[in-house]
Amino acid sequence: MAQTDTRKKDEVLFVGIDLGTSRSSISAGNGKREWIESFVGWPKDFIAMQVVGKPVLFGSEALQNRLSLDICRPLEHGVIKEGINRNDEAVKEIIRHLIELSGPASGQKIQAVVGVPADTLKVNKLAIRKAVTEFVHSLMVVTEPFAVAYGMNLLNNSMVIDIGAGTADFCIMHGSIPSEEDQKTVLTAGDYIDEQLFSYLSEKYPNSKFNKNMVRQFKEQYSFVRDTPEEIRVEIPVDGKPVMHDIKNEIRRACESILPALAETTAEMIARFDPEFQVKIKNNIVLAGGGSLIRGLREHLQDALKEYGPCKVSCVEDPLFAGSDGALKLAQDMPSKYWEPL
Amino acid sequence: MISAFFRKKELRVRQEILKGIYEENLRIIGKKKGALLRQRTFSPNRLLLILCIAAIVVLAGGNYLDAPLLAEKQTAGGTVMRQLPWSAELPNPSDFKAFITNADVSVSRTFGLGVKTIMIDAGHGGVDSGTRGKMGTAEKDIALDIAKRLKSRLDKYGRFHVVMTRSEDVTLPLNKRVELAREAKADLFVSIHLNYLPSKPINIIETYYFGPSADSKTQELAEQENAGSQYGLGEFKEIIEKLGQKLKLQESRELAYSIQKNLFANMEKENGNAYNFGVKRAPFVVLLGAEVPAVLAEVSCLSNRQEEKQLNTEAHRENIAHDLEAGILDYINKGEAGYGADRYAEKR
Repeated sequence: MAQTDTRKKDEVLFVGIDLGTSRSSISAGNGKREWIESFVGWPKDFIAMQVVGKPVLFGSEALQNRLSLDICRPLEHGVIKEGINRNDEAVKEIIRHLIELSGPASGQKIQAVVGVPADTLKVNKLAIRKAVTEFVHSLMVVTEPFAVAYGMNLLNNSMVIDIGAGTADFCIMHGSIPSEEDQKTVLTAGDYIDEQLFSYLSEKYPNSKFNKNMVRQFKEQYSFVRDTPEEIRVEIPVDGKPVMHDIKNEIRRACESILPALAETTAEMIARFDPEFQVKIKNNIVLAGGGSLIRGLREHLQDALKEYGPCKVSCVEDPLFAGSDGALKLAQDMPSKYWEPL
Repeated sequence: MISAFFRKKELRVRQEILKGIYEENLRIIGKKKGALLRQRTFSPNRLLLILCIAAIVVLAGGNYLDAPLLAEKQTAGGTVMRQLPWSAELPNPSDFKAFITNADVSVSRTFGLGVKTIMIDAGHGGVDSGTRGKMGTAEKDIALDIAKRLKSRLDKYGRFHVVMTRSEDVTLPLNKRVELAREAKADLFVSIHLNYLPSKPINIIETYYFGPSADSKTQELAEQENAGSQYGLGEFKEIIEKLGQKLKLQESRELAYSIQKNLFANMEKENGNAYNFGVKRAPFVVLLGAEVPAVLAEVSCLSNRQEEKQLNTEAHRENIAHDLEAGILDYINKGEAGYGADRYAEKR
């Protein structure tokens, strides 16, 4: 038995991929775990090509050189924006890059499980399949929160809330494949916070110069809801001179803007579920995705749901890789006969 | 012992789930084609219509089979025609072409005093929602909104009497629409529809006028759009008999060109995926029944996600209305010197 296992391991590399709007990560069977920001940049012209020295750039590297690149963030709302050629291409580049990062040995077969947002329609799953198929031998597409749940062994009576950049996905697990009714997606997630924060800051500091990217960095560094004792001050140039700005209130207002939808959807989904198991689910709510890093979010959700009885909300330990690790686990557990036709 | 039991149970759950995922993924690949195709049911009504259409082709075939298609390419001017592999061309006698392309045949002159009443027909409505985009946008709503905008735009000129077949979300059979046009003594009939191409992420702009279709795809589209007609066979024959004398084929065609040209020229700027499918002939019932120049414009493509998003913005619908307006005016004013320069100088 052990022998066949090792042989299988040598021949096949299992990978789990989490294709996100903001960050994409890969976990491979050989122990490698990598992530990149889901940005792809192509040099604008010949000179840009000379400067950056590469035909394609990814993630933070692409962002740093963005003035000489055509930048593309291909996965708006977690799906491939259809009909735009460059987007398909960008998704393919991301997948290719991620698989390269996972370092497959030559001649190894790659069997991949890819996580996509919960509400993606069939056509989008198809679009993602199309983009990935080129680089792997077999492929399965699952929903993102489901991959997280599988990886954390939360297969029964639990709820996973994956707050990403483009979407927040809700998924109730009850010991079988979640049906459409068990899943829901809302669009108020990370990108929405960025937009809010940007407009609040432009309102408060009309003379300061900042861009979306800076705002995103502020959010990632300081996000919180409710209260925090620390002061939040950032450096933003005014007329070219760096000036410290107090952005505490704006950060809070922006982060809190996603709370109502979050609490409402959670309550609504639990209420829809079989009443006998509602209590169990309420005690087994898990927050995943970059949004789970917002300080105070877990406590807030727990309090907001208090009127529906006691509940327990926890956060995944490693939000960046929770999805890809779950997908990898799924890939490894999948019987080999199931891989054949895909 | 107990823990072993639980582990076994968990394993079973796990296996069930893995199998479920496998089956779901098979479904994604397997049903690929079937799921994306437009569903179509064949009601007796529709079968009758197909028979009727076949009858038109046989009865009136001689009258318009000689209408050339090649001329269309020339009149379409600067726009690029992208022919699909399935769009076969019809025979093309040169004498007819010479007549059509003759600059002396001014349409407004053919019409005597010109166009007074314009009938705008917003496609579908009520229970018949037409096609539906992936985000749920219904053809009937968009068509109605564009129709309303077009009406208010045309009303501004003061010299047209603009009538709409429907000004709210009501079910309206096709023959009723035609009757309305007749009652209103409309001089022009413009029907607004939206396309749906399940398999291609492109945006197609095309305009139809009445005639036997040149290809099977158009025939299918005609069958779909004709589904709401409630004509009996007898009435249908009567119409066909009138057809020979009254159908103003070339006018409809000029109008179709004019609209198509304007629509596409502007759409191309906004959506890089816009394709010009040009002017086509098809036996749509709405076009057949109207005894005046009548066209059916497929102004946009709901299956294109980007386009669907845009259609949900007011600006885009206003732009389409503007393009239709420009098309209609170009047609009406054709031949009037200096007109084009004036109109294009005007800012949008």
